[in-house]
Amino acid sequence: MTATDTVSPDNSLLASAEAHVPAVEEDLPPPQRFWTKVWRDTFHEARAKVGAVWIAVLIVFAVFGPVIANSHPLAMKSGGHWSSPMLRYLTPVDVILPIFTLAAAIVLFFTRWSGGVKVAALAGILAVVSALAFVLVHPPPAVVYEQWRDLARAGKIESAVHAPVPYSANDRLRDQPEKRLTGPSREHWLGTEANGADVLSRLIHASRIALSIGLISTGIAVVIGVVVGGLMGYFVGKVDMLGMRLIEIFEAIPTLFLMITIVAFFGRNLYLLMAIIGLTTWTGDARFIRAEFLTLRNQDFVQAAKAAGLPLHSILFRHMLPNGIAPVLISASFGVASAILYESTLSFLGLGLVDEPSWGQMLNQALGVGGAFVWWIAVFPGLAIFLTVFAYNLVGEALRDALDPKLGH
Amino acid sequence: MTQPLLEIRGLNVAFNTERGQIRPVRDVSFSVFPGQTVALVGESGCGKSVTALSVLRLIPQPPGQFLGGQILFAGRDLLPLDERDMRSVRGRDIAMIFQEPMTSLNPVFTIGEQIAEAVLLHQKVSPREAYDLAEKSLRDVGIADARRRLSEYPHQMSGGMRQRVMIAMALSCRPKLLIADEPTTALDVTIQAQILELLRKLQNETGMAILLITHDLGVVAENADVVNVMYASRIVESASVEDLFDRPQHPYTEGLFRSVPKLNAPDGRLATIPGQVPNPAKFPTGCKFHPRCPRTRELATRSEPAKTIDVPVGGGDRARVMRVCVEDEPLLRGVLPAHGAACHFAENYDRAPEMLPMLDHRRQVVAGAIEGAAPRGIKLEEAIKTGR
Repeated sequence: MTATDTVSPDNSLLASAEAHVPAVEEDLPPPQRFWTKVWRDTFHEARAKVGAVWIAVLIVFAVFGPVIANSHPLAMKSGGHWSSPMLRYLTPVDVILPIFTLAAAIVLFFTRWSGGVKVAALAGILAVVSALAFVLVHPPPAVVYEQWRDLARAGKIESAVHAPVPYSANDRLRDQPEKRLTGPSREHWLGTEANGADVLSRLIHASRIALSIGLISTGIAVVIGVVVGGLMGYFVGKVDMLGMRLIEIFEAIPTLFLMITIVAFFGRNLYLLMAIIGLTTWTGDARFIRAEFLTLRNQDFVQAAKAAGLPLHSILFRHMLPNGIAPVLISASFGVASAILYESTLSFLGLGLVDEPSWGQMLNQALGVGGAFVWWIAVFPGLAIFLTVFAYNLVGEALRDALDPKLGH
Repeated sequence: MTQPLLEIRGLNVAFNTERGQIRPVRDVSFSVFPGQTVALVGESGCGKSVTALSVLRLIPQPPGQFLGGQILFAGRDLLPLDERDMRSVRGRDIAMIFQEPMTSLNPVFTIGEQIAEAVLLHQKVSPREAYDLAEKSLRDVGIADARRRLSEYPHQMSGGMRQRVMIAMALSCRPKLLIADEPTTALDVTIQAQILELLRKLQNETGMAILLITHDLGVVAENADVVNVMYASRIVESASVEDLFDRPQHPYTEGLFRSVPKLNAPDGRLATIPGQVPNPAKFPTGCKFHPRCPRTRELATRSEPAKTIDVPVGGGDRARVMRVCVEDEPLLRGVLPAHGAACHFAENYDRAPEMLPMLDHRRQVVAGAIEGAAPRGIKLEEAIKTGR
């Protein structure tokens, strides 16, 4: 401790404060990262917890879908020995998701690595797990969902453990044609759709698409928007002029027609859709960030950061961005919703994915044969979309407040 | 003779606006020696802040533009440096504190994070050591309970406290030169005195030089060794602080002193300098001060008519002034030993040589004892003792 031998009142005050320091020094938190604190403050709020719970439910559905809703028994005893048809029919993606989620949870919450190391570790794990899964996992090419029910009826299964929802998303109940388009019942909690597939099972399996298309396409949009808008707002002049023209060009492209064209040329590919949605919806984010940076660049603390010799990326993304990101976070929470709706639109037009269920595609099916309205197919996917959009907005608002240190704590 | 730490030679800065070019800094030269406090004094808009920002090359380019000149720091010209080299000068060799402590700190970071970031940038230390250094620099600026303050946010602090934090941050890397752009303008008077005393104390401890930008003559009287008075983007008078306060040569400087309230002055209205600071977009011809200058008007009443001219002086008024003031812009000349003024009618102006303000001078007088200093010269303790 630095000894001060002057006797000004300031220093004596200081000395008396120092006398008590050692006890305090113990529980002083280590230098805290800004985003760690924002994360903690965000989920300190009740509304964010509500939103996070629903998103967590979706994540559980997305990751453990095959265990929650599956026509294949999780385990069964046949001919005297146990087997697990569920495991045998897992696709590579079904395998990647739980392993990666587990690894991600460990890396994110149980390691003390810095942000960069964590991101690198996650990317590495994802790459390795994906490679292994695609090499090692080979489900049977043809899937016959009724086989287990046929076996059970023939009395060849001695005992079996079924999933809570014993129907796969694409199990059309070919053995029970009379079950097509029936309302909610004890067997099918949310009813069945026109082909006979279980609505609840399809809802659960569709959460995978809903989560990924919303997050990834919005993530792409936010990254592009922040970089372009940030550079425009900071440099103004020619950069701003060029950026603005770029934004106008992208805003002049009708997203839906572009997507229809892309689907027509390259086929139905979920990742392509994510990229297209992301590449065409960043303009709003760029405008928000530009407007924020235009006011921030003249703020004294930005001048002070420059005068301290900080490099450009630190001024832009460490000092200005947290002060200007709030509107983008709010717009991103709506962006997630609109991405889900874009996918629904494409599915409604019959250009969505064929094999995998999605909420939008289900909404489309609510318009039954001959124009009849099938309420259980409309309400439940609609509710799922609504809850998801709502949950993202709740988290987005809490995040906005956490980013503003003036709002209490 | 020691080398100046900072030497500005013939600095010209222009801003290209839609309504033409304006010149906020014209032919400005001065120097700052190690351990010296040099004040740059003038009204708002006279170019003193632009000069200060130019030293760190913080003028936005475009619209800003350097039209020649040199800014030599420890003998190296800063103007041709690329951005990367310039960044290593900023914060490490030359630090700056700003006028508005309320907005000069980033609201989303704690005090500790902001100081530690600057330390980490310029010194090879671990984050842990950076926080320890940050804590030490907070103690140095007299913040009690420094360790707890490290984890506080700027909005949890008062203006004076924030200015101390700004100073702590600026000094955390031990700069050789501190540019203080109106460091006390936004603070109330007792805090002003504390901050200035703190700056003096830190200067004594570290031997850094201070370039003090201010419009407050009380601050100048208490702190500066050498004073450069700026008017309409030029230096119009340059002298040691004692010389300037004892024998102001330029009518503008005289006007500034008359407009300072004095405790022992007889009752009456406070003197002002008539007129407005000229807009840099339409400077008057000749001496930029002539429309407001009492000296030229007074001389014109006594001169032969051929040497005078009737000119508009703003606000629709006209006045008779000396012709030379309108036709010829005076340069800074050494009208007295080590005392420069840019006025045709300063004593000796016609015979005086042109002068570069390079005074390696340290103040002789105790703070607050200069004749004509603002009432701020009274120290806080004295005020308490005398019961005021």
